[in-house]
Amino acid sequence: MHNPFAALSASVPPMAMQVYVAVMFLLVVGGTLIDLAHKGSAKYFFRRREIVSFGATRRVGAGEAAALAAETLVVTVLAAGEFCGVWRRITHLLTMYGFILYVVTTAVMVFAYPTAAAPGPAIVPELWYLGAVLVCVGGYWYWLLQRVDVAAEGRSPLRLVRADLFILSLLASATFALAWARVQAAGNELWGHVFFGLYALSSTVLFASVPWSKFAHMFYKPAAALQKRIEQANGFRANLPPPADHPASFGSARRQPNNY
Amino acid sequence: MPTFVYMTNCDGCGYCVDICPSDIMHIDPTYRRAYNVEPNMCWECYSCVKACPQQAIDCRGYADFAPLGHSVRVLREEEKATVSWRIKFRDGREKNFVSPIRTTPWGSIKGPSAYAPPSAAALASQELAHEPEALKVDSLPQLARNRLKKGLV
Amino acid sequence: MSRKTVFVDSDILVVGGGMGGCGATYESRYWGRDLKIVCVEKANIERSGAVAQGLYAINCYMGMHWNENQPEDHVRYARNDLMGLVREDLGYDIARHVDATVHKFEEWGLPIMKDPKTGRYQREGKWQIMIHGESYKPLVAEAARKAASAVYNRIMVTHLLMDSKRPNRVAGAVGFNVRNGDFYVFRAKAVIVAAGGASHIFKPRAVGEGMGRTWYAPWSSASAYALPILAGAKMTQMENRIVLTRFKDGYGPVGAYFLHLKTYTQNAYGQDYEAFWRDSIEKMVGDYVNHHPVPTCLRNHALLEEVKAGRGPIRMVTKEAFKDPHKETIGWENFLGMTIGQAVVWASQNIDPKEINPELTTSEPYVMGSHATCSGAWASGPEDYAPAEYQWGYNRMMTVEGLFGAGDTIGGTAHKFSSGSFTEGRIAAKAAVRYVMERSNDRPEVSETEYARLKKVIYQPLENYRIGRNEIVAGTVSPSYLLPLHGLQRLEKIMDEYVGGISAHYTTNQPLLTRGLELLAMLKEDLAYLGAEDLHQLQRAWELQHRVLASECVTQHTLFRQETRWPGYYYRADHPRLDDQDWHCFTLSRYDRDSGRWEMEKAPVYHIID
Repeated sequence: MHNPFAALSASVPPMAMQVYVAVMFLLVVGGTLIDLAHKGSAKYFFRRREIVSFGATRRVGAGEAAALAAETLVVTVLAAGEFCGVWRRITHLLTMYGFILYVVTTAVMVFAYPTAAAPGPAIVPELWYLGAVLVCVGGYWYWLLQRVDVAAEGRSPLRLVRADLFILSLLASATFALAWARVQAAGNELWGHVFFGLYALSSTVLFASVPWSKFAHMFYKPAAALQKRIEQANGFRANLPPPADHPASFGSARRQPNNY
Repeated sequence: MPTFVYMTNCDGCGYCVDICPSDIMHIDPTYRRAYNVEPNMCWECYSCVKACPQQAIDCRGYADFAPLGHSVRVLREEEKATVSWRIKFRDGREKNFVSPIRTTPWGSIKGPSAYAPPSAAALASQELAHEPEALKVDSLPQLARNRLKKGLV
Repeated sequence: MSRKTVFVDSDILVVGGGMGGCGATYESRYWGRDLKIVCVEKANIERSGAVAQGLYAINCYMGMHWNENQPEDHVRYARNDLMGLVREDLGYDIARHVDATVHKFEEWGLPIMKDPKTGRYQREGKWQIMIHGESYKPLVAEAARKAASAVYNRIMVTHLLMDSKRPNRVAGAVGFNVRNGDFYVFRAKAVIVAAGGASHIFKPRAVGEGMGRTWYAPWSSASAYALPILAGAKMTQMENRIVLTRFKDGYGPVGAYFLHLKTYTQNAYGQDYEAFWRDSIEKMVGDYVNHHPVPTCLRNHALLEEVKAGRGPIRMVTKEAFKDPHKETIGWENFLGMTIGQAVVWASQNIDPKEINPELTTSEPYVMGSHATCSGAWASGPEDYAPAEYQWGYNRMMTVEGLFGAGDTIGGTAHKFSSGSFTEGRIAAKAAVRYVMERSNDRPEVSETEYARLKKVIYQPLENYRIGRNEIVAGTVSPSYLLPLHGLQRLEKIMDEYVGGISAHYTTNQPLLTRGLELLAMLKEDLAYLGAEDLHQLQRAWELQHRVLASECVTQHTLFRQETRWPGYYYRADHPRLDDQDWHCFTLSRYDRDSGRWEMEKAPVYHIID
């Protein structure tokens, strides 16, 4: 497999590619911070901590908090443990690990092997392809079939709303990336440029739209999951009653929502 | 008390959308999470609250007449066949209750086809399924026509 | 926009998956092993209907095998409470079967409280037993799912279909899928309507978010009445709306309080006020005031008069009873298992019944058929003993062939509640199975012209909104379409002001009723201009349509009965007394949908039990 960025360096200087990647990274960080500041969500988070501390029945020590953070990292972040539906969990994991692979290998190729003269070992672009393919498999499966507005509300899979901004721009980026790399490898210059343009556009939309899309929730959800664990440990339980004192014996009748 | 959904806990599974008897739990188009679209048609039946696997749904008393600061939360545990309630008053008083919800395993009801098919005589009679045994008396009560009181019109 | 049409064929179609519908589905399968039984529900049968949040008591149980009550006793009780006017044949029929239903519920897994001393079901009162019923509905839904060939959730049935081969025979129903908008045509040999009664036809006491806290479920949209009315079935006692005395704002139940906790009411000055009004009630209704127990409507009347006299609020005296921790638990769990909202109201207002005697109020009126009231369709009674005038073939069949009913749908059968409604579903189902089996080669046929016409009618509100929306910039105000909520609030105001709602102290007269009919007629015309933004609003639009038609029926009946039979439910100021001479009878109506006219008549009340 060939390194598409190495081939790209013929028309786009490596420095430009590297600046772009760095800017995208900053847009994510900056976008998240803007979102937090604009909505005051950090203030809400800290205000809630005060309320919780009044309702807590025991103190959670630093060691315990660290253990809960580690658990959050492993269970919630790495294993997507928050998802109560097994198939949505699977598509999330596919998309997440695919995205990580795709982004990391992009950075490696752009920063370490951006020239045709030294395109680097074949494994890197192979992992890049794999990452983009995993994003597409998980992402399209989720977007067409699993989205709750489609699965439970009966909406058309083609209906577009603001909540789709993140997943669609991500899918567009991965899809156009694959199309660009394939077409470029086949030697078609014109289509190579077209798909590269679309790839660059969709990637820019993906990273620049952080203040308006669900992208930033990848940070908020683990924070909320850790908060929930701490509230379980300190007895606050968000006013929920404690689990009842009976043995588990009767099995669950819970079914998935009907698909329409 | 209309329901509301906690942003950080909802993961968009759709169980509340599926269960709501009033069809008022729907999906927000910005966050793809659930919310109550018509609180003035919410009966506070708590079906959505009980169905949510993340305990992401809660209730706030109707604004017409319920001051703020109260909480009535529930934990329905199907496997244990229990429902637990925690009530917190505006002034901080708390009351807790636990009740059974079922005495048999879920899915264990014997369907009507599992019984021996009824005879033609049974079909022609006034007895319903499982009668007279399920009545726990010898026979279905009847009114004999000649003993009916001829009442006034 | 072309919509997919889905055809569903069945032998028996059960419309409504509540207590009545689940009972009908279960029993249909028992007797019709090879029949196709379909249940259709606008929500999800797991939690649909009035029992969504659960119940804390089963209010109709004889306890025959413990010699606690006999079916005749229940008939006398219901007759007394309804001031003499009930279908005693139908009532006896439910009462003689209901114990079996309750015993099956226990077998299925419903936790019924037991009296620790006797081991019997814990009685709350003479007719009521106490249950832990949070999962009452999921339990009976499981039984129905095990019986049905198919359960269709989220399909709202809007109209019944009539047989194109024979007049006055039902052939199925039409409706739409609330999720994906598909059009459904149900073709059936027999139809059992077990839909919801009417909440939200009179203006409720709370008008903001609080509109949702109705005593009866807000999703009881009078389909139990509108579907048979449009099919030409005769309706009875539609004037017999019910008003309930319940805890303030939350409308939480008082039954366990009165019967088990032995609490009592007093006015704002600590007086037992019911005695003040005894004589004036006797002037209105005569000897009925001496009956025991005092009829529900008369107790309401005393409370209303007391409040009008300026000695409210009326309170339930709980401070003594709640000192007992067992009673305190019962008092709260009573709400948590049945009307959680009341617990929320008390928690929000710091009302602890140990320290405060909570307020009571009377609700806005409701029209339904399974409580201390019996509005509904006129149905044939049991073959073994019903008087000839009450019996025309199959038990619980209406005056339309092949159309059966159960629960709120059937009139004249008061005090059946959840267990009685499920039982009535079973009764109707067995009759429907026999009806179907006795006509094995005689299948009704739906008319394609009819359902094609209805398809257009059903989706019209979506079209009205889509096109009309182009006229305005934004917002809810449009000159060319009406939102379903607008129509609902207009209906509720008309009924409130002209047909005896709360702002009129439940009082009306002939001039008011006549004016009310004029305004209802204009509202009916405007229903052609309902605008629905999406499928959820389309459901609301059809719920409104059903409510308006039922309200028109209620108003016609209220006009027809020229007496005040149930003071405390409503008053005819121009006929303020009970009149056993001319009005000891049922009122019947029949609607002709082509002319829009109502034919009213009287039917005799046969007292077959002494």
